[in-house]
Amino acid sequence: MGLKGRGAIPAPFSKMRKRIGRFFYRHPGVEGFLFALPYMALWAVFLAWPVVYGIYISLFDWDPLRGSRFVGLANYLELFREPRFWNAVTNTFKFAGMAIPLILGLGLVFALMVWGWGRKRRGIVVVQASLFFPYLLTVSIVAIVWKWLLERDVGLFQHFLSSVLPSAPVFLTEPAWALPAIAIATAWWLAGYRMLVFQAGLEEIPVELFESAEIDGALPYHKLVHLILPLLKPSLLFALVLTTISAFRTFGQVLIMTEGGPGWASEVLALYLYRVGFDYFDIGKAAASGVVLLFLILVITLLGVRILGLKSELQ
Amino acid sequence: MKWIKRYGPYLVLYGVAFLWIIPILWMADTAFKPTRDIFSIPPKWIPSHFTTEHVERLFAEWPFARWLLNSLVVASFVTLGSLVVSVPAAFSFSRLRWRGRDAVFMFLLVFMLLPWQVNVIPLFFMMTKFRFLNTYQGVALPMIAMPIGVFLLRQFFINIPRDLEDAARIDGCSSLGVLLRVILPLSKPVLAAFGVYIFNYAWNEFFWSMICLRKPQMVTLPVGLKILQGAFEIDYGLILAGAFMASLPSLMVFLLLRRQIIRGFTLAGSGVKG
Repeated sequence: MGLKGRGAIPAPFSKMRKRIGRFFYRHPGVEGFLFALPYMALWAVFLAWPVVYGIYISLFDWDPLRGSRFVGLANYLELFREPRFWNAVTNTFKFAGMAIPLILGLGLVFALMVWGWGRKRRGIVVVQASLFFPYLLTVSIVAIVWKWLLERDVGLFQHFLSSVLPSAPVFLTEPAWALPAIAIATAWWLAGYRMLVFQAGLEEIPVELFESAEIDGALPYHKLVHLILPLLKPSLLFALVLTTISAFRTFGQVLIMTEGGPGWASEVLALYLYRVGFDYFDIGKAAASGVVLLFLILVITLLGVRILGLKSELQ
Repeated sequence: MKWIKRYGPYLVLYGVAFLWIIPILWMADTAFKPTRDIFSIPPKWIPSHFTTEHVERLFAEWPFARWLLNSLVVASFVTLGSLVVSVPAAFSFSRLRWRGRDAVFMFLLVFMLLPWQVNVIPLFFMMTKFRFLNTYQGVALPMIAMPIGVFLLRQFFINIPRDLEDAARIDGCSSLGVLLRVILPLSKPVLAAFGVYIFNYAWNEFFWSMICLRKPQMVTLPVGLKILQGAFEIDYGLILAGAFMASLPSLMVFLLLRRQIIRGFTLAGSGVKG
C-alpha cells in the first residue's frame, strides 16, 4: 500500500494509516499474527476444537435434550467389549491392506507407463486424461457405477467374469469378496491422482542418470529398483500418507455399494461410527469410536513418517 | 519383432486407457437405454433404441437442478473462502516473523494428518448450536481452513527471492503491500492449482455433507445421488442417469481445461513436499 493514490485519501484517514503503519513497524510480531489470524480462527473453531469436543462427548452418556450424564470411560469399555466394533476395526485394516497397495501400485505403473513410453508418442495426453479423470468424480458416482458393474447376473463385469470363469466369486454378495470389490472401485477412483504425483517425481530425475545407467548396461529392472524408486521416495511417501488417511476414513463407497453388508462383512469404522451415531443415536459411543479412529490414523501415519523419514520431506 | 517394439507401447497405453474408462462408458450407455435393455442377460452395449426417459424422469421427479446449484454454491464458497484466509496465513508463516510462529505451524502439520471428517459427531452438535444445519455455511465452514492449502502456498512463497520483497519495502510497501503487489502476482500458478484442488474437494465432499444437509432441497449432488440410490435400489436407469448427469459438469470442465487441471493437481501433489 501507499504506492499509488495516496492523495485521494482524506487527511484524517491518512493520518490514521500512518499511525497504524508506525505501530506495525515497531511491533512486527503483531502484524504477522494478524495475517494468520483469520485462518487460525477458522481452523481452531472447525478443525481443532471438534477434536477436543469429540473427546469430551465421548466421556458422556450424551443426550442434549434430556441432559447428559458423565460416564467416564464407560463408552470406550462398551466399545471394546463389542464384537461388532472389533469387526469394524478388522475390516478397516483389511480394506487398508488391500486398497493402499492397489492404489499406489496402479498409480506407479501408470506413471512409469505414461512417463517412460509417453515421450515422443502421440496421443499420450488422451491416455493420461483417461487414467486421471475418475479422480474428479464424486464418491457417490464411483460407488454407483461400480455397484452396477458388479451387480449379480446383469452387471457388466460380474457377467463377464462369471462367463469366463464359472467359479468366479459374486463380488458384492459374498462376504469374503465385498471388501475387495470396494477396494477395486476405490483404486479405480484414486489411482489417477497418484499417477500425477509420481509423474511429477519422475520428471525431476535428471536424464543424465539414465544415460549413465544405460552406458553401464543396466537392465530396466535395475533402473527401476536402484535408480527410480530411491529417487522417487519423496513422492512415494507423500502418496503413501495421503492414501493411508483416505483408506482409513473410507465411508461413502461402503455405504453405497454394500451398506456394510452382507451382514457386517464390509462394515468399516467410519460406517460403524455413522450407524451408531445417526441410526442408533448412541452419541457418546459414536464419539468414542471417532476418537479411536482418529487416534489410529494419527498413530499409523506418524509411525509411517517416523519409520520412513517423511518429516524432512514435509518441511 | 520390430513391429511389436514400435507399436506395442501404443497398444498397451491405449488398451489400458480404454479399459480404464469402460465404467464411464457403461454408465453413459445405461443412462440412455430402455429399462428392458438394462436388465438383459447378457448385458447389451447397443440399446434397441436411444431414450431420454430416465433423464426426463430425473428432472421431473427430483430437484436435480437445485442439487447442482447447491454444489456450485458450496464449492465456490469454500474455494473463495479458503483462498482468502489461506493466502495471508501462508504469507505470515513463510515471510513474517512472530513469536510462536514455528510452533503453531508444527501443530498445523500434525493436523494435516487428522482427517476432519472423522469428527462428524462433535461437528454435528456444534452446527446444531450455531443453527447451521441444512445451510450452505454449515457444510462449507469446516472445509475452508484446510491445512494442505497453507502448506502448499507457504512452500511456494518461501521460494520467492527475498530481494524482491526488500526492494518493495524500501519503496515504502507495508506487509500487505508486499503480499498484494509482489507475492500474489508471482503466485498465479500455485493459486490456480490450489483453487482447482479445493474446488474439486468441496464439489465431491460426501461424509460431512450427508450429515449436515438433511433437507432434500439443500443437499449437494453427491448426497442427492445417495438419496436417489437409496430410494430406488434397483431402478438402475434412473440412478445411472443421475450419476451420468452429475458427472457431466466435471467432464465438460475437464475437457475444456484439461491442461490447467492436470497441471494444478500435479503442482498440488508435488508442491507439498517441496
